[in-house]
Amino acid sequence: MSAVLREGRVILFGRSCFSQNVANFLMPGSSVRNLSTTAAVQKVQSGRYKVTRDRSRPLTYEMANQPCQIAHRKSWNSWNTTTLYEGLREPETVMDDVFIRKFMTGTWHNLFVSEVIIKRQHNMIRIAGIVQQKLAARKMYFLIGYCEELLSYWLKCPVKLELQIVSDKKDVIYKYI
Amino acid sequence: MSKIMLRQVYRGVQGFRLHTAASLASEINPAEEEFRTLELKTVRQEKRTMRDRKKTPILPPRYKRQKLDQNWGNVWPTARTFHPATVPFPVRQGYPATGQPTPDKWGNAELMKIPNFLHLTPPVIKQQCEVLKKFCTPWPVGLETPAKQDKHFPATVSTSSYLHSSPSLRDDRARIVTMKVSLKSLELDDHGRDKLLRLVKDHHDPKTDTLTLVADRCPLSTQNRDYCTYLLTVLYTEAMKTEPWEHEKNVADYERYVWEGSRSEAAARALFNARDDSPSEDVLTEYAKVVTELHNEGEDDSSVSRYRESVLKLVGLT
Repeated sequence: MSAVLREGRVILFGRSCFSQNVANFLMPGSSVRNLSTTAAVQKVQSGRYKVTRDRSRPLTYEMANQPCQIAHRKSWNSWNTTTLYEGLREPETVMDDVFIRKFMTGTWHNLFVSEVIIKRQHNMIRIAGIVQQKLAARKMYFLIGYCEELLSYWLKCPVKLELQIVSDKKDVIYKYI
Repeated sequence: MSKIMLRQVYRGVQGFRLHTAASLASEINPAEEEFRTLELKTVRQEKRTMRDRKKTPILPPRYKRQKLDQNWGNVWPTARTFHPATVPFPVRQGYPATGQPTPDKWGNAELMKIPNFLHLTPPVIKQQCEVLKKFCTPWPVGLETPAKQDKHFPATVSTSSYLHSSPSLRDDRARIVTMKVSLKSLELDDHGRDKLLRLVKDHHDPKTDTLTLVADRCPLSTQNRDYCTYLLTVLYTEAMKTEPWEHEKNVADYERYVWEGSRSEAAARALFNARDDSPSEDVLTEYAKVVTELHNEGEDDSSVSRYRESVLKLVGLT
């Protein structure tokens, strides 16, 4: 609850009530504005999808398992040594991962069916994921080479792409909700 | 019909102008004489189907073309993300949805996320060991036991190197060098050992009698290692030297209690003199030993009781 006083009132009561609490200003007849609040709901809604009436929303295994299931039913998408005790370069690695994910989903436009998985071993970055078979094989090879080359220049590490192709995106659907 | 309505009708009808033009022309097609019907309601036309794309044929998985007795080390030479078409056996991973089996290996991102050790099968490890064997040499003759090793190599130098998954291989902690030397191997006399221990203070571990020198002041580990050897050399040479001012060492500076020439000896001899008795050496040496032990090792139930015994003997009450 917060009481907002008009400035005039503060000056009026300033000298006589100098060291008293704010509550003393709530005298009968004083004009105060109150804010009424309720207790916060404290609801967790991260990574959760709403159920549809006709069970038409498809979910992959990744989407179906919420963040609380990581290390229980789900694994991490990013593997590196930065989070270990006295591991170095954590913030830079996180920003690099964000960049890699945006770059991959943008370059393979509408083709990624899973999350982009990033594994780092020594100075090598291995990017994995599941991709739909919408493009011709030659175009895929070109995109793989393009991504590897440009990313290795940007991130200053050798980059390897290890993609899995899925013929139909319905193959990765885990359940309907 | 009003003029506005007529105008609208004329505008609405598609072929109206055509009709008037045709009637003005010399040849009049009798079929064109018919009025076209005015369609106010548009009939939904059939959806235009998209051009059928060439469906790329889904090839059978790769493992079907592999021989059963193939060399797996050639198929999976290095650490690689799981690929279901290359791995010949069925694997399932994941929590099953209600009424469904465990998700299989096709389109399974969880199998791709976890590290696999398909590049380290036992035959491959054996092959790698065989290759590494040529870089190995046998253990040197004459260094079988730790005692022999300490005798010939008394100093131990240790450094740590650190690996990170990052583009840079620099780590500050790699420059730290630790050198451990056992003081026995330095073969110092009493004075030298005392002086060295005073110079070194905390770096000496009395339990193992080793001197530990840690150097991290230089940026490279080779420099720190050289600094360690320099430190050791300086400490040893200083310990061997005797400065003229060291002779000013008095009883208060002694690191251990020495009974000979102490007040305790003077008091004991005075006791014997008072009784006009010659001091028996056994009693005196035992008393000296016990008093030295009390001062140097500290008080203990057993040492205090021994002191009591020897004092009684000295005084003559036993």
